[in-house]
Amino acid sequence: MTAPLVYAEGLTRTYAMRRGLFSRPVAVRAVDGVTLAIAPGETLGLVGESGSGKSTAGRMLLGLETPDRGFVRFDGRPMPPPGGAPWRALRARAQMVFQDPLGALDRRLPIATQVREPLDIHGIGDPALRGGRVRELLGAVGLSADHGRRYPFELSGGQRQRAVIARALATRPDLLVCDEPVSALDVSIQAQVVNLLIDLQAGLGLAMLFISHDLRVVRQISRRVAVMYLGRIVEEGEADDLFAAPGHPYTEALVSASPAPGGRAGRRIVLKGDPPNPAARPSGCAFHPRCPVAEIRCRVEVPVLRPAGPGRQVACHRVAESPVADLRGAA
Amino acid sequence: MLRFATLRLGRAAITIALVVTFAFVVLRLSGDPALIILGPEAPPEAIAAFRKSWGLDASIFVQYVDYFGAILRGDLGRSMRDGRPAILLVAERIPATLALTLPALAIKIGIGVPAGIYAALHRGGPVDRLVMMLAVAGFTVPSFVLGLTLVLIFSVQLGWLPSGGQESWRHAILPVVTLGTGGAAILARFTRSAMLEVLGQPYIRTASAKGVAWRAVVTGHALPNAAIPTVTMVGFMVGSLIAGAVVVESVFSWPGVGRLLVVAVANRDLAVVQCILLLVAGTMVASNLIVDFLYGLLDPRLRAGGRAGAH
Amino acid sequence: MAEASLPDAAAAKPARPRMPPLVFVAIAWVATMIAVAILADLVKPYVFTAMDLRNRLSPPGHPLHWLGTDELGRDVLSRLIESIRVSLLIAFGASLISAGLGTALGFLAAHFRGLIEQAVLMLADFQASMPFLVLALSVLAFFGNSLPLLIGLMGLYGWERYARIARGLAISASAQGYAAAVRQLGAGPARIYLRHILPNIASTLIVSMTLVFPEVILLESGLSFLGLGVQPPMTSLGNMVGYGREYLTRAPWIMLAPALTIVLTTLAISIIGDWLRDRLDPSLN
Repeated sequence: MTAPLVYAEGLTRTYAMRRGLFSRPVAVRAVDGVTLAIAPGETLGLVGESGSGKSTAGRMLLGLETPDRGFVRFDGRPMPPPGGAPWRALRARAQMVFQDPLGALDRRLPIATQVREPLDIHGIGDPALRGGRVRELLGAVGLSADHGRRYPFELSGGQRQRAVIARALATRPDLLVCDEPVSALDVSIQAQVVNLLIDLQAGLGLAMLFISHDLRVVRQISRRVAVMYLGRIVEEGEADDLFAAPGHPYTEALVSASPAPGGRAGRRIVLKGDPPNPAARPSGCAFHPRCPVAEIRCRVEVPVLRPAGPGRQVACHRVAESPVADLRGAA
Repeated sequence: MLRFATLRLGRAAITIALVVTFAFVVLRLSGDPALIILGPEAPPEAIAAFRKSWGLDASIFVQYVDYFGAILRGDLGRSMRDGRPAILLVAERIPATLALTLPALAIKIGIGVPAGIYAALHRGGPVDRLVMMLAVAGFTVPSFVLGLTLVLIFSVQLGWLPSGGQESWRHAILPVVTLGTGGAAILARFTRSAMLEVLGQPYIRTASAKGVAWRAVVTGHALPNAAIPTVTMVGFMVGSLIAGAVVVESVFSWPGVGRLLVVAVANRDLAVVQCILLLVAGTMVASNLIVDFLYGLLDPRLRAGGRAGAH
Repeated sequence: MAEASLPDAAAAKPARPRMPPLVFVAIAWVATMIAVAILADLVKPYVFTAMDLRNRLSPPGHPLHWLGTDELGRDVLSRLIESIRVSLLIAFGASLISAGLGTALGFLAAHFRGLIEQAVLMLADFQASMPFLVLALSVLAFFGNSLPLLIGLMGLYGWERYARIARGLAISASAQGYAAAVRQLGAGPARIYLRHILPNIASTLIVSMTLVFPEVILLESGLSFLGLGVQPPMTSLGNMVGYGREYLTRAPWIMLAPALTIVLTTLAISIIGDWLRDRLDPSLN
């Protein structure tokens, strides 16, 4: 395996959350010891429910937030602290696509001006030639020069997200973090934008972190997938293997709830219990209250991520005992 | 509740400290008080003596600490004009000011709050329109214009009331009316919008939909909730009991604290000005504190929060 | 405080609300005042200090002095025009200073958070809780009086409102929206705040300016009325009222002309401000 473009180890982020005006703040661990690596040109899908900490993990990977513990290395060097000049310079190489394109765009500036802005900020190219580069970028995401003259509110949701993608690609970054990039769009538009991202990723050789709660989309775009539950990665592996034979009961439940098109229509596992709440994290394996196969040790002992088959890692006591395939066969 | 109380008291103390610092900084920035008071032609010995007696020869930090200490002891200096303690000069004017502002406050609350409630309950009616119009006037007509207009009508034209001075209760009528009407209109408008806001809340609509008598909804739910913002406004007005009459006292030559302030400013009688500044700040801070604690009584949510915080 | 037209605004949101006639009149009045202030030297019939000793205390309607004269035979209309110019100039200057200062402090608080934010908020609380007239009078007592000081002093009036608005909007913009997006593009604070956040919150700031402006006029006229604001031989609206007060029995027009101008101007700006707020920014209150 080539040296990773971005490597994060043991990322932990805790927020202080106040319940009421006078109550003492509660420490909420949003991300707890996450280790990730993305090779140049590779797409990693990060899956989880809301509150799983996947967005926070993505923001730390980009350097937008500083981890409380752990570190991020980008291209072999430590991530500089946010706000400083080295950090700002690094923005040209690592970019983000947001969930809400309307919120990410300045509603008072025309699209072309905003696509051009990264070039102005980082002083890339001859100022006189930047207009041409902007037209090229707009073309690459399927927007016309006429779209460039419009304001964000004059575009559709899909067109806005295309504009955000064009802006993110202006500096020819090496890494693109997409945080739920299509979940705010109409279902009919989602596929178009996902296909655009796939084409761009392949054409430009981008490394990409694709964060989503939607397994179908992640399956379509990612080569490798990591599944998060309450701040921890519970399973990681090659996308095809992982979806075909989930190792962790949580992954299994997710996969069963979102059958692959044309795949076998397996039984659907319905998770019991409350949806995960980072402020009230269960002891032991955080998934145990909802786990159909939980044992006594799952309540007390936190399972660690262990290799389970080629390129696969699973954090589950039951999987540690037997390889994934065996477990599958037994179930 | 304890945490709440210490927080509020701490903030009050900080505000007072800020006022004292403000006075000190302004005092020192304004130049050499000795030269200002004694004049540039004063003999050097006189200036040196003055500096010594006012502690101006020490370092700025020592002066600041001394200044703070003196104020904490209640020593606010002497009037630079007639040599009497500034605090006495100010204190003997307070009754005159309260003689205007307390009745004015009674008018503001006695007319403003009921008028606001009535206007909100009869929205769009003639009283509502009148309240809104008068409230706009209350914002845009300065008190000196209102006062002089009243003098023009009731003293100059009709000859019913005296135009200035403090000889009898009749002299107080015009200034009290001037102070009271503008404030009453503003308070009415404030109460009205507080009421309307509460009346628009879902739980009020639910209560009335459930068949609870409208009168019970209003007295049981709307009034207590609308009271919270209104209390803030009244608190601000109580806090302005001293400061609110500066202009009106001048219009009617009423010998209160406000008139004293204007004269002291014109004469650059710094000790008196500073004493009034502290008095005004103290009144404001005290009324803010009272309002904060009234909040605690009025808002059950805050009270519950306060109890939880005490654990 | 925008209750006057709120019921209709809340009920329906028509595509293009027509301008109410009252607002039209208010805008016309303010435009006239601004024109008078700018063209003062061309419009006023006399030099405002010129005395006409033959026509002292002549009532309005005099063929040479439409609004009458004062005790020294000075033309009330000319003095009124000069006063409008001075009062508006001070109010404009002060409002610009206050808006600039408040916005800058609000941005500082939003950018640095922590201690700086607490200090700004504490100052804002302090300013909002103290009667500004008394603070202003104390400063004037200590420093004496001059026009730049007066404008600067009044420029401290109302800054806390701009600061609160600017801070709140900048924080919410940085927390999720376009400002966070631009920041992660690598933009420096100057670009983020001046090129992106400021244009986005300008309409809200301008609306609050129209709401603070009348108060600044009232404050200036109050100070000048007390003889502690604009000093003779200069004149302002409050000055004229203060002077006219001495002649209330014999020549009430000296007081009434500037008093009416103050009331109508503040009223007009308040009406425009309320209307702008209802149209542009219902969130502001």
